[in-house]
Amino acid sequence: MTTSEAVDVMVRAMAPYIGDTMARSATEAHCQRLGIAATMSRDQVETLLGKLGGGLNIFLGRDKAASVIAEVRAALAALEAPR
Amino acid sequence: MSGNGTRRALPWAVLGLAVALYAGWGAAPASALYSRYLPPSRLVLIAALLKLAYLLAGSAFAFACRDRLEAGNPARPAWLLLSQGVLSMFAGQLCLAPFQVVYGETPFPTVADIYFVLAYPFLIASFLVFLNAYREAGLPIGSLGERAGIVAGVAVVGVFVALPLLRPVAATGGTLLERILTIAYPALDLVLLLPLALLLRIALRLRGSHAGDVWALLLGGFVVLCVADIFFAYFQSLGEAHLDPFVHAAFVLAYGLIAGGAHRQLQLLKS
Repeated sequence: MTTSEAVDVMVRAMAPYIGDTMARSATEAHCQRLGIAATMSRDQVETLLGKLGGGLNIFLGRDKAASVIAEVRAALAALEAPR
Repeated sequence: MSGNGTRRALPWAVLGLAVALYAGWGAAPASALYSRYLPPSRLVLIAALLKLAYLLAGSAFAFACRDRLEAGNPARPAWLLLSQGVLSMFAGQLCLAPFQVVYGETPFPTVADIYFVLAYPFLIASFLVFLNAYREAGLPIGSLGERAGIVAGVAVVGVFVALPLLRPVAATGGTLLERILTIAYPALDLVLLLPLALLLRIALRLRGSHAGDVWALLLGGFVVLCVADIFFAYFQSLGEAHLDPFVHAAFVLAYGLIAGGAHRQLQLLKS
């Protein structure tokens, strides 16, 4: 999947909790640190979700952060499903 | 408005009314409301009770936030430190309340100042731990240079604003302890403002979200607390007792916002 599509999905799910600006800048900063280019492999998606979950954890606690990340994972799976 | 909405709005309406009441007292002390129905002794009593209630609630909510976060969560010690800082202010207010309630006056300095001063290391440590938690989690909190620039900028502006305000305070009479404490509060506030400025930068990126609401309330509360301390130092040392109502209004607002921010975070953790 393309990085920009995946980032949009992640930002949309996290924005209500940490705001659109923080969600986008955190996701893009992690992408940069992980060396993610225009497309993302499944492993890279999982690593990125792990990093984002760690950030959400601070604001929402482990359980709620895990449920938001699960939401993101489901939305990404829907995106990957044959269109 | 729904029942839930009313329940949520009621504490804010009470806080708004309380602040308006004390600002009104300062602006029009001779009006019928204050001369007939709410004499100064009663207003000082209400202010003391409001401050105690907000501080106790703020400390309890912050502690409950710490309790809701799992062991190992980097924000957990920050909420504990915040809770301890607010609890220390509650202890200070509790020492002061009997004087305010019985004699209708706020003596200075008293044993209460030990607790008020003790609150600062807890609060400053709490903000530093929050900042470290955000940095460790990889949230964009700015480069080292940017952060150093913000801290230096706030320090310079703070010193330039505080110095002219505090010079007459330092020059007034009073015991050495009195003068040291009068200067110590605004000086400690200035130190508190440094991590607050860095947190404000983060809070701006959180705007429009649940976490943004939490930080807007908490930071708003601590900024008003700094203003209240400067008011207090200024009015106390210059003997401007007729301006005390504004000091009460500022402290009530500060404590109310801090309690509101901690409560908002607790709601977020419970949701």
